[in-house]
Amino acid sequence: MASVSIAKPSAQTGLLTLKRRQYLIAFLFVLPALINFAVFRYIPIFMAGHASLYDYSLLGGFGDFVGMKNYIRALEDDLFWTSMWVSFQYALMKVPLQVVLSLLLAMFVARELRGMSPIRTIIFFPVVTSLVVAAMLWSMMYNKDLGLFQSIAGIFGLRHNGFMSNPMLALPSIVLMMIWKEVGFSMIIYVAGLKGIPDMFYEAAMIDGASPLQRFWHITLPLLKPVTLFVIVTQTISAFQVFVPIFVMTQGGPFFATNAIVYYIYQNGFSYNDMGYASALSFFVLALLVVISYFQFRLFRGQAEY
Amino acid sequence: MLGTRTAPLSVPQGRKAFQLRRLVEPIVRYTLYAVIVIVFLMPFIWMFFGSVRKESEIHGMMFPFGWHTIVPVQWTLENFLDIYGLTEAGRSGGLRFHRGLMNSGIIAVAVVALSMLFNTMAAYFFARLPFPGKKWLTAYVLATFLLPFEVTVVPLYLVISEMGLRNTYWAMIIPFYASPFIVFLLSQFLGSIPKDLDEAAVVDGANYWQILWKVIFPNALPAIATAALIEFQFIWNLFYWPLIATSSLDLQVIQVMIASQTTDRTVYWGRTFAGLVSAVLPVMLLFLFGQRFYFRGAVLSGMK
Repeated sequence: MASVSIAKPSAQTGLLTLKRRQYLIAFLFVLPALINFAVFRYIPIFMAGHASLYDYSLLGGFGDFVGMKNYIRALEDDLFWTSMWVSFQYALMKVPLQVVLSLLLAMFVARELRGMSPIRTIIFFPVVTSLVVAAMLWSMMYNKDLGLFQSIAGIFGLRHNGFMSNPMLALPSIVLMMIWKEVGFSMIIYVAGLKGIPDMFYEAAMIDGASPLQRFWHITLPLLKPVTLFVIVTQTISAFQVFVPIFVMTQGGPFFATNAIVYYIYQNGFSYNDMGYASALSFFVLALLVVISYFQFRLFRGQAEY
Repeated sequence: MLGTRTAPLSVPQGRKAFQLRRLVEPIVRYTLYAVIVIVFLMPFIWMFFGSVRKESEIHGMMFPFGWHTIVPVQWTLENFLDIYGLTEAGRSGGLRFHRGLMNSGIIAVAVVALSMLFNTMAAYFFARLPFPGKKWLTAYVLATFLLPFEVTVVPLYLVISEMGLRNTYWAMIIPFYASPFIVFLLSQFLGSIPKDLDEAAVVDGANYWQILWKVIFPNALPAIATAALIEFQFIWNLFYWPLIATSSLDLQVIQVMIASQTTDRTVYWGRTFAGLVSAVLPVMLLFLFGQRFYFRGAVLSGMK
């Protein structure tokens, strides 16, 4: 603490002691960031809370005060529940698949063998690609008339009737694209986790004659539990925020089969011009995700003594 | 990882199995390499080649599947000339992707510059400066992690409209001049730099500002580079926020431009491919040059 020893010689000079002046100067370093978080992270939440109590439109501004009407309307809105269900289905398909695939890939690429480094790079390409590009590229591949998949299916004498226009296939097709895009990210986190497991655990197990499967089941998997929990929670939260692929690939169709909740909020706010209702819907999703995040923090505190 | 570890411990009677394994392992491995390359690289290859061939070729050679379904017969830059408004056909179609690239570039560079300044300052405060009740400020920063970005876009829109910043570059720059995640990431790193360095500088009469830029900054360059790359990629790839923050065509960023161009004219696949290539190339090249920073960033964000 260099600051303390300096503060001593000059006593009080007016209202600001040297120490207080130091605190003030230190605070100036963090002030711009604190203002940013207040204005662009916290205040928006309060403004949305305020707007959700009014008839509020982009064009007309604040209308009548309506109290809880927007919230009650959401509870009675079938499309809101449909959208929530679509988001749930999306998360239920995507999260487990991505966790399993990224762990398998990580176990493959964590080995420092010849040719492995470019493979890691290639799996990471979709991660740095923007969602718009990935979504557009895949909707071109899925295209019924000209798509790459149609062409490849032709090799086997098969033919598909379009993915995005089929209510059964549209959502799984988006899930597939998103796993392709994001699996590399979880994989890298798993690779770091795998490298953190000391070799001696495996050596001891081998001396005891444990098979590779036993070693995986009794060493790798339990020791990766914190990583797995992390991947599951963050992926769940991000799954509930899916928007761009819906916007680009299906616009919520066919027959609302891909009308995920954030897309529904967007439509209400910017297509139907009903910001009050969109704000109320945002609050529902926010509450849900805060609960998930809260469990994340609890889980991680529980991991400390692992 | 598991397979190779057994090798040194193989006992004599397992020798045959061991030799077989040494033969089979590379075959399995290279087959998997091939599968991974096809799955993760093929869409990009299709996109790159599609952007440098004639429209009629894309349509005419899609079926039956063959070498030229992917690889052009006749190479051309026509699609790029079209989307950058350098041909009559492109201009009459209102294509000006150069404008989108410029907008994205201006915004991304501005955000990276500002956020490196303010995030580094904030991280320096959290990691090294004395302040009473700093843990409350830490909680204030960390609590923002609870607010998922896509859900707060509508609320953010309300604030930006109130500030009168709709349809300006500022709308896409100001909200991002500081990032809680980057502050957190950098302060972890700044905390690990030895404290003797600052103390020596204090003895020499340096103030906080001088210590930050002359002592801490040079020592933290790898972490700051990681943060800058993450930030650039985040802003460059952003879609939802620029989509709603601006309605003016002059301010459209590249991501919004490619999405709106193709919903209007899906017929021109070559141009669409060229647009996708334009949007992806800057981040792709940065990634190739700064790979280790990206992997480090991904692992560090594991703490987010």
